[in-house]
Amino acid sequence: MPQQSLTERTIITSCPHDCGGRCMLKVHVADGVITRITTDDGAEPQLRACCRGRAYRQRVYAPDRLQYPMLRTGKRGEGLFTRIPWDEALDRVAAALQEVVQRYGTEAILYVAYSGNTGTFLHNQLSVFRLLTLLGGFTPVWGSASFWGSLFSSETTYGTVVAGHTCDDILNARLIIMWGWNPAETVQRTTTAWYLTRAKERGVRIVSVDPRYTDSAAAFAAEWIPIRPATDTAVLLAMAYVIIAENLHDQAFLDAATTGFETFRQYVMGETDATPKTPAWAEAISGVPSQTIAALAREYATSKPAKLLTLGAPGRTAFGEQFHRAAATLAAMTGNVGIYGGDPAGFGLPPVGLQPIAGTGLISRKLTGNLPDGARQRPALHITKIWDALLQGKSGGYPADYKLVYITNSNCVNQFMNTNKAARALQLPETIVVHEQFMTPTARYADILLPITTHLERNDIIRPWQGGPYYFYLNKVIEPLYESKSDLEICEALARRLGIQGYSDRTEDEWLRLFWQEAEQMTDSKPLPEYEKLKQEGVYKIPLEKPVIAFRAQRENPAAHPFPTPSGKIEIYSHKLAERNDPLLPPIPMYLEPWEGPQDSLRAQYPLQLITTHCKRRIHSNMHNLPWLRDLEPHVVWIYTADAAARGIRPGDLVKVFNDRGAIVLAAKVTERIMPGVVSIDQGAWYEPGPDGIDRGGCVNVLLADRHSPAGAFCSNSCLVQVEKYDSDTQR
Amino acid sequence: MIQIRNDNLQHTKKQLGFYFDQSRCTGCYACAIACRDWHDVQDTTVHWRRISAFEWGRYPEVRVAYLSLSCVHCAQPACMASCPVSAITKRSQDGIVLVDQHQCLGGSVCGSCRKACPYGVPQFSSSGDERMQKCTLCVERIDAGQQPVCVEACPVYALDWGPVDELQKKYGGVPEVRGFSIAPGTAPSIVFKPRWHEGEE
Repeated sequence: MPQQSLTERTIITSCPHDCGGRCMLKVHVADGVITRITTDDGAEPQLRACCRGRAYRQRVYAPDRLQYPMLRTGKRGEGLFTRIPWDEALDRVAAALQEVVQRYGTEAILYVAYSGNTGTFLHNQLSVFRLLTLLGGFTPVWGSASFWGSLFSSETTYGTVVAGHTCDDILNARLIIMWGWNPAETVQRTTTAWYLTRAKERGVRIVSVDPRYTDSAAAFAAEWIPIRPATDTAVLLAMAYVIIAENLHDQAFLDAATTGFETFRQYVMGETDATPKTPAWAEAISGVPSQTIAALAREYATSKPAKLLTLGAPGRTAFGEQFHRAAATLAAMTGNVGIYGGDPAGFGLPPVGLQPIAGTGLISRKLTGNLPDGARQRPALHITKIWDALLQGKSGGYPADYKLVYITNSNCVNQFMNTNKAARALQLPETIVVHEQFMTPTARYADILLPITTHLERNDIIRPWQGGPYYFYLNKVIEPLYESKSDLEICEALARRLGIQGYSDRTEDEWLRLFWQEAEQMTDSKPLPEYEKLKQEGVYKIPLEKPVIAFRAQRENPAAHPFPTPSGKIEIYSHKLAERNDPLLPPIPMYLEPWEGPQDSLRAQYPLQLITTHCKRRIHSNMHNLPWLRDLEPHVVWIYTADAAARGIRPGDLVKVFNDRGAIVLAAKVTERIMPGVVSIDQGAWYEPGPDGIDRGGCVNVLLADRHSPAGAFCSNSCLVQVEKYDSDTQR
Repeated sequence: MIQIRNDNLQHTKKQLGFYFDQSRCTGCYACAIACRDWHDVQDTTVHWRRISAFEWGRYPEVRVAYLSLSCVHCAQPACMASCPVSAITKRSQDGIVLVDQHQCLGGSVCGSCRKACPYGVPQFSSSGDERMQKCTLCVERIDAGQQPVCVEACPVYALDWGPVDELQKKYGGVPEVRGFSIAPGTAPSIVFKPRWHEGEE
């Protein structure tokens, strides 16, 4: 046990990874070395950290941290590198960028950035964004592996993503429906589980609708309603049918605040397509008994206020945006919009503090403020289309042939769909540059691999992207380890080599002071503390007298406070969507039969529906490599007892999960906690293809199709597979 | 508002122990990693605090509960009785069970405490230092007026600590819970709130 040093002090910081929560990490430091990490023992609401934050000391000092710049020596993907000096690494990156621009144009630079740092004011993907923009432009990526269906729906229906309530409002509900929502495992927000605990203990009825009996269902729910993946919209429509048929809807609210309900009603009742969306209709699709659907509909319509809570999972399906559109429509039908204890079932940001998305825009504008309009970016690629675009380029109808791939804040090989295709595609570009902290499956494809500091080795400001009412100052705790640098430092050095003027005229501290001033101007939650006070105290919890909820003004006086939509109303019927005239993106929420869903004929070959879940001991693929966390639970596929028995699979057996796109091997968890015909695997385990092409790491994206929903959702819960017992001797 | 309890430690001549609310535990592992980090237990074959999951029932009427368990600081520790060199003692003022690692003979030479403890508590590292180690109830923290680090870690406040008779009074807990049965003659210092009561299962 380490002895408490006389020089030990504690520094308050948080964590920049992509779970939605932001928790307090009190880092104990002695003689420039982190000795321990503790958490919030101060004022309510405490922001207590999860196991991953508590394990951060092991991450910082992990023996597999990347320590110095490296140059690839083996084949891409092999992971063979040699150490090179920083000057040589930066010279090589600058030369490669210049050469690609000269020979092919800036559109040939593909910049893949994602959520390795999320909600941070300074250290994130915008460092490289600014560099490449000043260089003349690049091809960016768009889309989200998480929430695009929800974001699209919220903007379509409510005209905004600021359509949520602060967590404390959970206590005001009479009924909470957790629809594909599992905050006990995903965190969602730091205090979500605690408020759900208190709600349950106060007698609030909580129902879980999910293909799995999740830890959230086990801890909070009085009832579990199993549902086949990707059929959620059908059940919501059948609930609407019951509510309409029994006249339980809030007609006054619908009249005052919404548009298009009548069109939706006609569709639901079968007047337009001769198919009434009855509970029996939905039962055949979803496997949820019709009486259960009807009872849930009545309960939701009559238990006011009630929260229908979701985040992204049911929307991460083929036509996933329809789920979120239907959920918002039900929230409006039951009058649960703009009231305490209700919820609009939109994108869940509460209107408090600087909005993370606005904040990112702020930083983007500041860091790119002197750029011409449009920033000379090229047409963006959807994140599911990167590999196809690399393989096909212009010949496949893409806007360019992509010659240089620049990757930061992203383990995209592992985390974007169709990983085997990624492995093929990344053999093609002339140059691949990766900024990383570890030798991830993506880093193994780099030609030039640059080591990045962790957030404990630099300063930043952060707030939860899910909109908790607080800010953290991410205090630098220790000096950068080894030869690591921040993205910003690297880009400053590259800008000098590329002859780019005015890349950064401020120090880290000066940027952060500027952003903090800007944040104050952009938020209603004033005054913010002085910068020095924030930095010293590490956290600022915005004092709230009561919960902050979306659309309160619209609710109280809809005439004076229109919704920020074209019609000023909640758009159950969207004219914008009608104008697109896309039958796969209809103007009202509709059930469209999903590909690789329960009714797909492909089930003859691949009979099991796979869902890809979040892991309690990783944040996506972050921290998969830490022994302390790996020890907590094995990486497994959940399979229903009878489905396992039919395949001769016993608990703990190694199994192969496969389809036409690939195969992975991992252990089976044989369980009653998952619906028959469904299997689930936590996303984020690191890809380790063997010589036979089978992934021993259990990376679930090996199995997923690189295909997005019509609105751009990542369809990671629309996937059919087969599972069989794996015998390594006979299958080699 | 919940009570933040930093002050309940000036009790003397009491038997200290834990409270675990199984109805609250989501199995998040924060307590286990907080313990590992605070006590710098690098070896992952060693667990001072361990989380176990229990599943029973049939789909869709399935049930799940977690158990977060460390040393339960028995009133009559079987480990202490079994130790041939009296390396295991109970602190006189509060009954915390502690091991003197300088006296411990080690797991491969002796290991009698491992055999004696019915709760699987004594841990022996496989990496060189194989003297017995286990939960100390964060004795250095509570002596400094702090809570055990696991108690302070729990995001849903499912853990508490204190004189076990006071915990019983405060929570009206039960002595056994899914995954934990009392071994006769040990008198473990822990009270529980179950997730599922008898008859609900």
